[in-house]
Amino acid sequence: MEQLLDLYGFASVVLHAAELVARTVLLGSVVFWVLLAVPAGRLMPPGDADRLHGIARRAVRLAAVAALVTTLLGGLLGLAALAATLELRAGALIGADFIALIGLALLAMLAVLVLAAPPGVPGPRRRWALLGAAAAVLLAVTFGSHAIARTEERPMLLLATGLHQAGAAFWLGGLPCLLAALRLTPASARLVGQRYSWAAAGGVGLILLGSAGFWLGYIGAVEAVYGTAYGSMAATKLIMLGLLLLLGAANFRALHGVAPMGQGLPRLRRFIEAEMAIGIAVLAVAASLTSVPPAADLPDDRVTWAEITERFTPQLPRLSSPDHADLAIPALQAQLDAEWQQRQAAQRPQAFTPGEGLLPPRNATDIAWSEYNHHWAGIMVLLVGLAALLDATGRVPLARHWPLVFLGLAGFLLVRSDPEAWPLGDIGLLDSLRDPEVVQHKLASLLVVGFALSEWSVRLGLLRGRVRFVFPVAMLAGGVLLLAHTHAISNIKEAQLIELSHLPLAVFAVIGGCARWTELRGPEALARVARWLWPLCLVMIGLLLLLYRES
Amino acid sequence: MRHALRPTLPPALPLRRFLAGLLGLALMALAAGPAAAHAVVVTSDPAAGAALAAAPAGVTIRFNSRLDHGRSRLLLIGPDGAQQPLPIAADSEPTVLAAPVASAGPGQWRLRWQVLAVDGHITRGDIPFSIRAR
Repeated sequence: MEQLLDLYGFASVVLHAAELVARTVLLGSVVFWVLLAVPAGRLMPPGDADRLHGIARRAVRLAAVAALVTTLLGGLLGLAALAATLELRAGALIGADFIALIGLALLAMLAVLVLAAPPGVPGPRRRWALLGAAAAVLLAVTFGSHAIARTEERPMLLLATGLHQAGAAFWLGGLPCLLAALRLTPASARLVGQRYSWAAAGGVGLILLGSAGFWLGYIGAVEAVYGTAYGSMAATKLIMLGLLLLLGAANFRALHGVAPMGQGLPRLRRFIEAEMAIGIAVLAVAASLTSVPPAADLPDDRVTWAEITERFTPQLPRLSSPDHADLAIPALQAQLDAEWQQRQAAQRPQAFTPGEGLLPPRNATDIAWSEYNHHWAGIMVLLVGLAALLDATGRVPLARHWPLVFLGLAGFLLVRSDPEAWPLGDIGLLDSLRDPEVVQHKLASLLVVGFALSEWSVRLGLLRGRVRFVFPVAMLAGGVLLLAHTHAISNIKEAQLIELSHLPLAVFAVIGGCARWTELRGPEALARVARWLWPLCLVMIGLLLLLYRES
Repeated sequence: MRHALRPTLPPALPLRRFLAGLLGLALMALAAGPAAAHAVVVTSDPAAGAALAAAPAGVTIRFNSRLDHGRSRLLLIGPDGAQQPLPIAADSEPTVLAAPVASAGPGQWRLRWQVLAVDGHITRGDIPFSIRAR
């Protein structure tokens, strides 16, 4: 049971991210089917109309199943965590408000699934029932959100939450349907695209309205944006929403004839795929946001602008490692000891999720070790980016072997990531594998080897087909997971300063992944740009890592 | 994995989380990060770090979120590590946990709380305080 508690915080955020994606697609697909596919289908050739209904119905059913599973798992996790920490009967636990709301959401999702079961075009009653069930899902999750736990401005925040989630469904939730609908005949695809773009524009408006409410209720001041985890995550979300808006605007112009179609549907498809990838990243941030206290609730101990500029002022990278047995660098150690004692003396009340602990007291060796790791990792990622840029010129054949640099990174990770355990530390390999984190790192090293070799084989022409997508998907997944990770719930300055350095890395990883995907999928005009874009993202990631500091 | 209450291996370095995340290699890698939730302490009586002249008659903690009192708990942990569950007053304000304290002698004490916010998030924490010997 203790292991369950250890994983609770992490698992709840990851499950919530999956739940958000599934639910957004579910709501968006219902809207797509009822409000777009049914009326637009009447204007299409029968074959296209049937295919469009099939696309929408399939998306609704798949998303309903995914939403049911993720929501159920999220509820069970909460129940299990409660059962592990309270001596209460199962009946008493099930009576919690959040369980009742999860039950309501599950029932509504089940209703959507049942309503989507019959084949054929839904009649007016079924359409209203589908919309009603989708609205019930939205209401249940809105009333289960953090807004319901607020003491002030609750109605406004509930409204903002509902509008925000509805907007995400209108804009992002129907994208899988739209992507599939682009395979219809060109005239039908264009009709669907035009209508969808209006719905998406409305969704953007709802998202912005909801965001205004969140600003008023949860953030409230510019200092909170960079000074707290909630604020900096919200700012990251805003940056990615900006990217989505650029892609959406390009699609809108193409579909409505404001701009020439250019490469036509293939270009549109790539942009929509990028929207979906960035949309998932945005929802991952949203999941992370729902797991931290609003910035407005943490007025003390925020990171100041001066601390940020001091921390992010470039310095020479640390290229020599502290000795593993070395325990002190006197001057820095004295400063850190003083800071630690100051924090202890303050005795602020701290809060944790089960399984979470405070950042440990750092010593100078920890910091030097970590900075050295970041800086060498940065050099390797920078090398990969530069080699990939050279490769993009097509004039340096040797540069196509850039994936091999990742093997160095894998070896580095294997050796350095767990200094307390094998091969550097006293804890043997088998003993160390009882710690899930050590298992993750060893596994990660092996996986790096796997994808480096697969990408290298692709570059050499030894492997073809879908294995080409391993690298961009890995970049995207890395960025999304970095965005979805959990945060300290009290203002812990060190954690926040590290957070601020890692958020841009995640955004560059997402952009780089989308660019590499686009390069692989074409059309040529986009691929020519993308070919340079993703190596540049790697260069930026490498540079950011080289600038990384912890003191 | 960082453990609040059950230390095992030494803490993780931030690089681990980054590398694992950057490369998209292991979903589990994110378990390395500190976990989070909503309810945080706004004020408490006794305050964190307070040195009291005598045992308090009761304890009160105010949170930033509305709570499910029936599914929250308070423990008083004594200088010898003994845990004493405190009966949470059912008629407390929605954001407050309050409980009477039967007895507490001199020494270092910790008020350990766990709350379920009405949005379903579980949070826990400690409030240390001391009682001076007379």
